[in-house]
Amino acid sequence: MSGSIVLALRLVTALALFAFLGWALYFLYREVNRQGLSLANRRIPGISLTVKQEAGPSSLKYFAQSEIVLGRDPGCEIPLIDDTVSTRHAQLTYHHNQWWLEDLASTNGTFLNGTQVSMPTVITSGDEIKCGATRLVVSLSENVINEPTQKIGKKNEK
Amino acid sequence: MHDLTQSRLLRWSAFFLLIQSIILTLSPAVRERTWDVDYKISHWLGFLAWVFLTNLLHRVTTKYIPERDPYILPAAALLTGWGLLTIWRLDESFGIRQTVWLAISTLAVILAIIFLKELNFLRSYKYVFLGGGMLITALTLIFGTNPLGYGPRLWLGCCGVYFQPSEPLKLLLVIYLAAYLADRVSFQLFSFPLLVPTLVVTGLALTLLLVQRDLGTASIFVFIFTTLIFLATGKRRVLISASTFLALALFLGYFFIDIIRIRIVGWLNPWSDPSGNSYQIIQSILAVANGGTIGRGLGIGSPSLVPVAISDFIYAAIAEETGLIGTVSLLALIWLILARGLIIALRATDRFRRYLAAGVVAYLGIQSLLIIGGNVRLLPLTGVTLPFVSYGGSSLLTSFAALFLLLIISNVEDSEPAILQEQKPYSILAGILALGMAAVAFSTAWWSVIRAPDLLLRTDNPRRAIADRYVQRGELLDRNNQPINVTEGQSGSYQRIYLYPSLAPVTGYTQPVYGQAGLEASLDNYLRGLQGNPSSLILWNEMIYGTPPAGLDVRLSVDLGLQAKADQLLEGNSGAIILMNAETGEILVMASHPTYDPNNLEAEGETLSQDESAPLLNRATQGLYPIGSALLPLIQAEFGAQKPSEAELQRLYEKLGLLQSPAINMPLTAPQDMKVSPLQMSIAAAALSYKGIIPSPRIATAVNTPEQGWVVLPALGQPVEVMQESAAKEAASSLMKTGKPYWSHTGQASVDDTRVTWLLAGTPPDWRGTPLVLIVALEDLDTALAESIGENLLNAAGLSQ
Repeated sequence: MSGSIVLALRLVTALALFAFLGWALYFLYREVNRQGLSLANRRIPGISLTVKQEAGPSSLKYFAQSEIVLGRDPGCEIPLIDDTVSTRHAQLTYHHNQWWLEDLASTNGTFLNGTQVSMPTVITSGDEIKCGATRLVVSLSENVINEPTQKIGKKNEK
Repeated sequence: MHDLTQSRLLRWSAFFLLIQSIILTLSPAVRERTWDVDYKISHWLGFLAWVFLTNLLHRVTTKYIPERDPYILPAAALLTGWGLLTIWRLDESFGIRQTVWLAISTLAVILAIIFLKELNFLRSYKYVFLGGGMLITALTLIFGTNPLGYGPRLWLGCCGVYFQPSEPLKLLLVIYLAAYLADRVSFQLFSFPLLVPTLVVTGLALTLLLVQRDLGTASIFVFIFTTLIFLATGKRRVLISASTFLALALFLGYFFIDIIRIRIVGWLNPWSDPSGNSYQIIQSILAVANGGTIGRGLGIGSPSLVPVAISDFIYAAIAEETGLIGTVSLLALIWLILARGLIIALRATDRFRRYLAAGVVAYLGIQSLLIIGGNVRLLPLTGVTLPFVSYGGSSLLTSFAALFLLLIISNVEDSEPAILQEQKPYSILAGILALGMAAVAFSTAWWSVIRAPDLLLRTDNPRRAIADRYVQRGELLDRNNQPINVTEGQSGSYQRIYLYPSLAPVTGYTQPVYGQAGLEASLDNYLRGLQGNPSSLILWNEMIYGTPPAGLDVRLSVDLGLQAKADQLLEGNSGAIILMNAETGEILVMASHPTYDPNNLEAEGETLSQDESAPLLNRATQGLYPIGSALLPLIQAEFGAQKPSEAELQRLYEKLGLLQSPAINMPLTAPQDMKVSPLQMSIAAAALSYKGIIPSPRIATAVNTPEQGWVVLPALGQPVEVMQESAAKEAASSLMKTGKPYWSHTGQASVDDTRVTWLLAGTPPDWRGTPLVLIVALEDLDTALAESIGENLLNAAGLSQ
């Protein structure tokens, strides 16, 4: 009799172990889901750049991606036809809810509002970037939801 | 969300441990199969302490580090509680100590979470920590002791409180290396910046190996170092050279360091020395095998048979009592900690924290794999502990410190991890750890499921003898159901009692130390309940008790009245008597002298087995004596007056079954050099008493099964007609002596040192009752004595004038 009871209890312990592992797997699955959703929902504030080259007219470019490279290389997001600009001259990246300007070891340097950029620097609307002889004016879109993602997890919390 | 995950998982851990505690409480009732037992209560103290401390830790983590990883604390808590209950089950006093250590470790982690949330102090004082750790370890070289009083002297302390500095030293090494590597931006292999830590680690490892003989800790140091250098440089060469170094160290150690040679030999070839150097590993594997799929249940197995089950072999103990389900879950829990740890490392905000988390993962993973692999004979045995689970204050404290580091590093609100230069090394590390876990899981399954049936039948499996104390063994009865060997006592202390000791050479004994002999051995499957019971009953008993069902009684053909007479007649002489039913082959009397008392086997066993007069031998079936002139009547009946050629004689012997062992289920010695056993002689002589036919001998005649009652055990062979009935009658008539109601013939033989007097006798040809045949074999040349024994015994059997 005691043997049968204990046998049943032994099976219950096995189930308890499986329950623990099952829950852990289930929560991990939800975490993956949540992470994917939060990354998919992350919005980048659009950035407009007015490119003023010495020769030729100025042009306006709009981007909604998180990495923008400036340079003479045609593969760059902003190809610049200017001999004073390096192949991959500088890059604009969006992280930590900010747009950052970073010099990519260019020959002639990158300048933000007249100051040389030696480390990643935050930029805002109205800033002027100078790569070689080319100047770009930054304009950030205002109507952007920055962090819409937190809500997804929130409603499940107790 | 984090808090919900953590509390759910912790609740399941608590539920698991609650049920385990209930099982442990009930386990004595299962073992002894009665409700009237002393239930185990004390471990509830450990369980309640675990609940309280874990709850406290849960609350502190939710309050102070809200963004921590929610999986590792429940997994670590479950492992710790599981280990605690297993330790408590193995040894109550160590259970209490472990509970105290659990309290100390938990409180230390809580204080650290509240006051040491910043880990940068670790980075700043890395040399202080490492130097301090090494200094204390060095002290063990001088003041080291071992709490057990023998073995490697790796502990510091006195008066009952011991500390093993090499445990925290592993973590200090991780901290030092993480800080050192994080301070340097890029690495060249074989460059100066890597020289310093390499020398430090190599020196430490070699010192531990050569001076302390601690192979396990030394290899863990090398592994931790290799992992961190590999993660920092991303060069696979690091892994290759470290493997070469370890292989070389193992190779040299094999030749120069005894303990390493013992461990390696015991690993490569354990079956050659199961009671010596490989004792630990064999017992560990037997424990794993006994666990099977679902295990025996906490408190119902016998894991304490494995040496140091509370620390080094706790995995084997857990395998025995929770089975493959338990061990695979345990490995999954460890893997959960390791995988989450690697994710924590990747998400860390700076390189120091990343290396720190990865180093902690390497330490936990490698140490777990080393000892579990050692337990299941995947790797040579290294005496390290299983993190979180094993007994040991230093081990538990270090495991909790590792837990603390992972919790703190995972507590990042900023979701922006540091830039990763090389992703490959992390994938490779995860892959190696996953492969390792899978390998130990498969090894465990190999022993606990595939090889288990064979392993459990090994004679050095002490569980059979333990089962005999808890399960009633079947009785041996004589032909009138008089008990001969019985089992008495209560479950838990059953004992075999031998009511008729003079029959000991025939019925044998069953004893934990000396094993089994005689009919107790050859009928063991019936007496132990493994044969004759329905297989469903056997399976059910195996499942709920881990033992066979109650044994079955076996009836022998022996007549205790005649047996007593024979023993009385043979007393003081060496030799054997067999009285057999010549028609059916049933053995009515089988005496072998000198004899012994199996009730005193425990005290006398050693003397008996050394005794030159060989009392343990059953002379009737295992004693071989030269035939001499004993078979003259049969030869004359076959060939008449003419002298047979050697070939003809051989053919006759073969026909009479003298050249091979008789078909009977008892220990026999095969005949050789024209020497035969008295049993063979009685079978051949039976032809004269019953129609020229030799019977197939029987001694176990029936078994009492639960479903069909007494079931006849048939003879194993067939009767064979060896001569014409008339020739047999004629020969028997010619052997009748005046005044004697039976035929008889004596013969003598003396070959080398063996002297024997044979008496063959039997019922006359016109006998209307049971045809009998009697053999007396005396190890002396004394025809008169043989004849007098024969006359007295046959008179007692009803053959009198």
